[in-house]
Amino acid sequence: MTTARLASGSRRGPAWDWVRIRRVLRKSQFHFGVAVIVPTLIWYFVFMFHPIFQAFRIAMVDYKILDPQNSPFIGLGNYQKLLLNPLFLVSIKNTFTWTLYIFLFMLPISMLVATTLSNVRRLRNLYQAVIFIPVVVSLVAVSLLFRMVMDPEVGQLNRMLDFLGIPPFKWMSSSRSALAAISGIAVWKSMGFYIVLLTAGMLNISEEVIDASRVDGANEWQRFWRVTMPLLSHTIILVVVLLTVGSLQEFTLPYVMTEGGPGTATYLYNLLIYEEAFTHIRFGTATVAALFQFVFILIASLIQIRVLRPNWSY
Amino acid sequence: MTGSAPALKPAPHITSPWRNLRQGVLHVFLGFMAIVALFPFVWMVFASFKPFKELVQSKALLPINWTTENYTEILTRVNFEVAVANSIYSAVTVTVITLLTSSALGFIFAKYRFWGKEYLFILLLSTMMVPFAVVLVPLYITIGDLNLVNKLWGFIITGLWSTFGVFLMRQFMEVIPYEYLDAARIDGASEWRIFFTIIIPLSTSPMAALGIFAFLANWDSFLWPLVVLNTPDKQTLPLLLAGLRSIYWARYDMWSAGSVMTTVPIILVYAFASKYFIRGMALTGIKG
Repeated sequence: MTTARLASGSRRGPAWDWVRIRRVLRKSQFHFGVAVIVPTLIWYFVFMFHPIFQAFRIAMVDYKILDPQNSPFIGLGNYQKLLLNPLFLVSIKNTFTWTLYIFLFMLPISMLVATTLSNVRRLRNLYQAVIFIPVVVSLVAVSLLFRMVMDPEVGQLNRMLDFLGIPPFKWMSSSRSALAAISGIAVWKSMGFYIVLLTAGMLNISEEVIDASRVDGANEWQRFWRVTMPLLSHTIILVVVLLTVGSLQEFTLPYVMTEGGPGTATYLYNLLIYEEAFTHIRFGTATVAALFQFVFILIASLIQIRVLRPNWSY
Repeated sequence: MTGSAPALKPAPHITSPWRNLRQGVLHVFLGFMAIVALFPFVWMVFASFKPFKELVQSKALLPINWTTENYTEILTRVNFEVAVANSIYSAVTVTVITLLTSSALGFIFAKYRFWGKEYLFILLLSTMMVPFAVVLVPLYITIGDLNLVNKLWGFIITGLWSTFGVFLMRQFMEVIPYEYLDAARIDGASEWRIFFTIIIPLSTSPMAALGIFAFLANWDSFLWPLVVLNTPDKQTLPLLLAGLRSIYWARYDMWSAGSVMTTVPIILVYAFASKYFIRGMALTGIKG
């Protein structure tokens, strides 16, 4: 391992160090490393680190688009403006409700399907492949598709309900059902992803543990809660964190399906950030709102990982 | 969990009638879920061949009067081909460059030793925790400073490096034996040659997964192109589709034709490579 030897310190004094450095500079590894790392650092600086630092600055000024250098410093003024915006609390409430719906629909459905998939003996890959299809298609196309299917008058969904003798439902055109209806679509769109994760986790559980529980006389129900679930906890943490982080940042579905309506029924937090920034051109308040989201997501994920982390290993 | 260990001989109880009934119930449930996942697309494909009047009136799944009018209209009235070209151009560019940057950095982080390597890695990884909304405005300002607003490259340039991709490739390249690299070095191969002729061929499986992941993420990207690209000649497919809502208000025939042309090519590719798609998506979870 030439690289390893070069990296370790020498005990032969500064002159030897210089020889070593010169030798490194001639190495092909060095050229390759520089050619990859330098553009990487430039890109990360321009498109990641600098914007993140800028965000903290923009949050404290009254950003003037036409003359950004002379944007007056207003300290916490943007925070105040955001808190006074009536849509702020509405969007937070909607986003929490949305996240709750996603969890309520997604976890039971995906657990059930994953359990079924891991127990079925034939055609498992085929079922999985078909259930996965909605994950790979464009979300905007799916949004349009469900706006058609859920149309209160001509949509297929109400036609089917009619066929079954159930009165038509307003889906997205009623402010009472819009959020739940769209979250149902979000679940339909991405359940395949979580099902694949959970199925892979379940199939990873070793046969011996399952057999041992069988020998001990555990029934299916006990085996699920006492063996499968605990051994699946790493996958479940992942699913819970990904669901939370994703749901709290949902944008495309409500934007394309309802644009936050009817009224403010589906006005989620990221719609607020987007509209503050690019409809009302209030860069400062939009960035403050985004920073709030950042802090909240960070704390929420840390708590989830801490609470759900298994306190055992084997 | 009988299916997970095909090498084992089935236990006697597995073939019992009770077991068969149970398997039957599982198949019925999975079949139902498969229909739930697939039916909306089937409906959409048939709807796209119906004339508007029939689409909003008939209850039948299959069109009575087949028509391709919807497709010809959408192709002539909106810049559909332009959006397809834009989407393909940006998705292919981003995918190819992301694969190169991720595998090169994965190689360096997995196999090189230099001062500050782990710090640098953690610094790059830490950007994954920041929600996109935080950089939405500053990034827009940066793109403005670079004179890339309403240019396809304004959308592309922000996707050329993928922190997740670097992480994924490093994970896989850790297990490549040092002996391979040392043997090549003794034979006088340059690092570029090692990278292209040893590292990349040994990493095709994670690269296929990452490539599919990057392509789909870019193909489906909505918020950022919505902000950066404004005029119809620069639009990507998702923007054009979303625009149909206002150009063709409740013209479900147009919508379904546009959606079919966006989704069906992806579904067809998926049908032949579903294994790689699923693996690609699952890797994001198992390794993450």
